[in-house]
Amino acid sequence: MNDTLAVPLRKKPWYIRLLRQWDLQLLVIPPILYILVFNYIPMYGIIMAFQEFRLGDTMGMSEWVGLQHFRDLWADPNFPRAMRNNIVMGLMRIVIGFPLPIIFAIMLNELRSIKFKKTTQTISYLPHFISWPAAGLLIITFLHVDNGTMNNMLMSMGIISEPIGFFIRSEYFWGIFIVTHIWKVLGWEAIIFVAAITGIDQELYEAASIDGASRLQKIWYITVQGIKPTIIILFILTIGSLMSTSFDQIMNLTNMMSNTMLRERAEILQTYVFRTGIGQRRFSFASAVGLLNTVINFILLLSANWISRKWSETSLF
Amino acid sequence: MVGKHKASDYVIDGVIILVMLIVLVVVMYPLLNALAISLNHADDTARGGIGIWPREFAWESYRNVVNNTITWRAYGVTVARTVIGTVTALFSTGIIAYGMAHSNLVGRKFYAIFCLIPMYFVGGLIPMFLLIRAMGLFNNFWVYIIPTQIGLFNIILMRTFFQTLPESLEESAQLDGANYLTIFFKIIIPISTPIIATIALFIGVFHWNDWFFGNVYITNPALRPMQNVLMGLVEEARFAEMMAAIAGQGGGGMGAALAAAGRGRPTSVRSIQMATMFITIIPVIIVYPFLQRYFIKGIMVGSVKG
Repeated sequence: MNDTLAVPLRKKPWYIRLLRQWDLQLLVIPPILYILVFNYIPMYGIIMAFQEFRLGDTMGMSEWVGLQHFRDLWADPNFPRAMRNNIVMGLMRIVIGFPLPIIFAIMLNELRSIKFKKTTQTISYLPHFISWPAAGLLIITFLHVDNGTMNNMLMSMGIISEPIGFFIRSEYFWGIFIVTHIWKVLGWEAIIFVAAITGIDQELYEAASIDGASRLQKIWYITVQGIKPTIIILFILTIGSLMSTSFDQIMNLTNMMSNTMLRERAEILQTYVFRTGIGQRRFSFASAVGLLNTVINFILLLSANWISRKWSETSLF
Repeated sequence: MVGKHKASDYVIDGVIILVMLIVLVVVMYPLLNALAISLNHADDTARGGIGIWPREFAWESYRNVVNNTITWRAYGVTVARTVIGTVTALFSTGIIAYGMAHSNLVGRKFYAIFCLIPMYFVGGLIPMFLLIRAMGLFNNFWVYIIPTQIGLFNIILMRTFFQTLPESLEESAQLDGANYLTIFFKIIIPISTPIIATIALFIGVFHWNDWFFGNVYITNPALRPMQNVLMGLVEEARFAEMMAAIAGQGGGGMGAALAAAGRGRPTSVRSIQMATMFITIIPVIIVYPFLQRYFIKGIMVGSVKG
């Protein structure tokens, strides 16, 4: 989309071109200023992690305390616990939660009935559209110790004799976390792989059939190889978010962390930021926790990207 | 698939169909069970064993929720923020995406990098909280709208779409003397239905399902959206259970205590919770199957360009 009229051989200086396209700039500059305010000011606000912010202070102008908050964090027994839970649940999300949508997408592709495939897929992403407060309420009710459907089923099948207190004792939390995570994302995260599979050249399958390839061989050598770049890109993104997501889920499964019985296994860095920052108003300390979390994410993303570029020539940037 | 099917193919088919059926049951059973509880007489539910069909039909839980002014008000807030939030954000995102789709835009590279950095490095919860507080958006309806105007990822999606539009559209309008603003409103918007539907769905679902803003920035109950009413119900129920447990009503425990409190009534805390949940999620559940092709397209574009 170029200015077709009167384009001289030599480009005009940028400010002349800028003035000439004032109407185009008018569409871009206000949103850019918006991004400056709502994305860059908070980024600048991170320096409060090295200061002692008190309500009423102008952001960034508080008293400097250096690494004090990070030292406090180091000494805080909540910190290693949150770190452990973060890593354990993040790894569960990667090791269990990442391959399942791929397997699901491949299986969908192998279904012979188009109607059954479409219906299954549509129903599979229903949970994605249910909010976490609604999903949390549903899950807590379903697993309730008192006349919850899950306990009733297990008791009537004779698997247990006493109802299990799923949300009363923390030892079940990691299991509940990963199962409900998969329930919520399986269909939605499969969409991208289903689309990638659709893009594979059908002739490859036919050629393989003629060569006598079995169905499993075709799945492995054509389907899986065909969607490998998509898998790698999404794997990088997933590793980059190892320590950051699941905040909504955990908050809504623990009554905003007020269910203290679950904290031992449920607390992650983000919920700790929320509790100390929003709850106890320790803004600077919470910012320090948040900054640590951001930096870890960033390093993870860069290393995943680097490894992937070295090994497979596919990378994010 | 061409040609003959071997026996092993039928085994694979069987396994796949079985797995798919398990997925369907796992996804649907908790929801259908909750629906049955919300439509069942509470006394009967207390006997246990409710599956996916109500045994003793009772509408009272829904009547109770619908007759509740708190629900109506919260529903109004949710609808208002969804409509206003989606329309305004579409506009804000659309104009910058359209501008950035032009290769002759002066400063294009700078703008692109400017939008890219915050996608990987964010300020986080606390600085954002303090910024919104400093702007006086606490207990203010506009806290739902103003900080949620521009999603950086949505800019990329829309820009990619605009780049696919033929340049000739714009050139002929320019020859007629139209400027970019006119072109955007008169020519571009009407032919951009697919991307508008995609982004509108993403933003709309975000607004409908968001609980964070209503939880952190709003204490005035009149401004609370549906999701936060749901969260309030969870908290109330837990409180009631704790109270019942503390009161220690004999060997029956808290279940018996709660049942005794509500015996004979067609509704219970649980049936009302489930009814409220369904009333909250139903609009999204009804709408999404019809918009499938739009969000599938959006995700695909995003995966290529993201």
